Amino acid sequence: MGTSRNVERRTILKAAGATAATLGLAATTGCGGDGGTSADGTVTIRYAWWGGEPRTIAIKKTIALFEKKYPKIKIKPEFTDYEAFWEKFQTQASGGNPPDVFQNAVGFLRKYDKRGVLMDLKSQADAGNLSLENFRNGVLANGQVDGKQIGIPVGANTMALVIDLKAFQKAGVEANFGWTWDEYFDALQTIQDKLKIAGDTGYFSIMYLYDLYLRQNGKAFFTDSDLGFTEDDVTQWWEDGYKRVKSGLVADPKKIEQAKPKSGLSAGLAASEFTWDNFSIRYEGEGESDYGLAPIPTTDGKDTGQYLGSLMLSAFSGTKHPKEAAQFIDFMVHDPEVGKIMGYDRGILATSEQYAAFKPTDANNKGVAAYEDEVAKADALGKITPHPSGADVIEAAFLRIGGEVAQGKTKPADAAKALFSEAKAAFAG
Amino acid sequence: MTLVKEAPARPAEKRSAAPAAGRRGRRRENLAGYLFMSPWIAGFLLLTAGPMIASLYYAFTSYNLFTPPRWVGLDNFTTMFQDPRWQKSVQVTLKYVVVATPLKLLLALGVALLLAQKRRGQALYRAAFYMPSLIGASVSVGFVWRALFSDDAVVDRTQKIFGLDVGGWIGNPDYVLYSLVALSIWQFGAPMVIFLAGLKQVPQELYEAAEMDGAGPFRRFWNITLPMISPVLFFNVLLESIHAFQVFGSAYVVSDTRCGPADATLVYTCYLYQKGFKEAQMGFASAMAWTLVVAVALVTAVLFWSQKKWVHYEEAAK
Repeated sequence: MGTSRNVERRTILKAAGATAATLGLAATTGCGGDGGTSADGTVTIRYAWWGGEPRTIAIKKTIALFEKKYPKIKIKPEFTDYEAFWEKFQTQASGGNPPDVFQNAVGFLRKYDKRGVLMDLKSQADAGNLSLENFRNGVLANGQVDGKQIGIPVGANTMALVIDLKAFQKAGVEANFGWTWDEYFDALQTIQDKLKIAGDTGYFSIMYLYDLYLRQNGKAFFTDSDLGFTEDDVTQWWEDGYKRVKSGLVADPKKIEQAKPKSGLSAGLAASEFTWDNFSIRYEGEGESDYGLAPIPTTDGKDTGQYLGSLMLSAFSGTKHPKEAAQFIDFMVHDPEVGKIMGYDRGILATSEQYAAFKPTDANNKGVAAYEDEVAKADALGKITPHPSGADVIEAAFLRIGGEVAQGKTKPADAAKALFSEAKAAFAG
Repeated sequence: MTLVKEAPARPAEKRSAAPAAGRRGRRRENLAGYLFMSPWIAGFLLLTAGPMIASLYYAFTSYNLFTPPRWVGLDNFTTMFQDPRWQKSVQVTLKYVVVATPLKLLLALGVALLLAQKRRGQALYRAAFYMPSLIGASVSVGFVWRALFSDDAVVDRTQKIFGLDVGGWIGNPDYVLYSLVALSIWQFGAPMVIFLAGLKQVPQELYEAAEMDGAGPFRRFWNITLPMISPVLFFNVLLESIHAFQVFGSAYVVSDTRCGPADATLVYTCYLYQKGFKEAQMGFASAMAWTLVVAVALVTAVLFWSQKKWVHYEEAAK
């Protein structure tokens, strides 16, 4: 009897031990650790971005450079593609555990400012950890919301029309500054007649392009807290778009859908595509033709409605290492070496130090630089319009609903209603 | 190759001789048992029961992950029923369930009938047909599917030979759901194995007797096989319908995370995911989740109720 009782006691103890070990394990993995400071005073901060492989390779090089200069600060990189980035970020941020420093864009500024996630970097600038000087073309304002500096631009970009140079040449079509929408659609017609391919990949689902069109007409996509256009406006925009799909001026959306993740332009389904100018770098790698940047068509022959958009770096308001985060951003934004490594991957370099340090040698980067120069020379750049909280959800809805119109699955008027009702929910969220 | 063999007879479970230690000993034994179970119990409470209760609560709140949940009563449910995209997701899901489940089971039963016969290389065939079920849930298969059913890919080219020019299924809102159905049917291995097990249980004497009475193959199948395997059929119908209601991965990957084009593959869980993780409407997403739970429970109840009419258990035959 005695022995069996001993065995039982041992069993119980072992079981208890195993349980404690499991729970202990769960506890250590569960909490975030020590906030990134090790015994020798080395601080670790997390840096997250979205983008393709070339960007990741370049950024890792810049991190190595930073760690060499600041041996007491270690950077832990996190990266994914755009969609996954914001899904992950949302979850991390709601759990109070977003990265210390992260890439950001205008569509997300108010959203995360409203939720208290973004640090006002003015305080760090005042403390001397970060310089707010030497930003080109007033681009620093892109990171400001309600008097706070919650994003520091790393690059500036603007919407452009990327064209298949060979196709345009073969069709004998020229894209000139100041051309009108009518001239653009005439050009698409010529391309279709002569080359038997569509001219455009689907312009009317791109929120940022519609924004330019609205701005050419004295409106804008967003106001501070609402949409800046009417249901009738967008119904008209989509009706025209659908007509052009039907007539073959705009590529068949079914084909565009299947070419993904390739763009319709580099897949050879159409001769031009509206996108951000720095995105043009991807087409050379993807497609078989040569690609160039062409101006945005206008309504009055002058105003393109363009402005400088920007990718930025932001810091988490609750970071345990605000000083180091600011120092890191400062380095990434101002250091000339970093500028040389990054090039125009995230747009034309935002600070004059980096802009001066990088001299583009390849056709792509040169093209982007020349394009922005020309846009700036035309002196047509407007101020960025505000993006209220919920703008990201509305952009996705605009793309989706525009796609439904293109597929002939939703009538433009119903589509406009759907967009407005979804926008209402997004602003409220 | 011995990939799939008859399941070996399970060794009789060893029963540890319980020490005749009286009530105290038993209590100690129970305690040890609970202690051993405690990691599982803790896991269940923390990871399953807890979140379920929380989500039930969230279903009645407006919750964007950042600000504390705000009680809104039944608002999420009323908004949901009026939401055209939600209605669309219900339509798409029902269509998927109604088309994919019977086709999958039909194929599973058909192949099981063929494989139930003794022939050379039987184990190999069984393994080969079961294989897709093992890898079917993976994301990579979704990508393969996308490649197969795209414009100018294998399926499209084959169709063109027969004069059917669809231009790929993936970009076409009228066809893309059927590529998901095809993916589901392709994974018929699991119900097939269950059917096989059921077919093995049918007493051979019945067939012999029926043959003596002059019953042909179809009659034997209809009057013997089908009634005899009806419990297995019931089990498969139940399991596969529940699975079909919950389809997510394939829809998400094949349609490049957008559940489209034109919301054509907006299955229920895909919309739930979009609402929860893209739009941060966790209250709405929770309401959707619980509606799905109730719907699946109802379908299950209906199936259980209907089995009286068509499922034959041996006890009932006595």
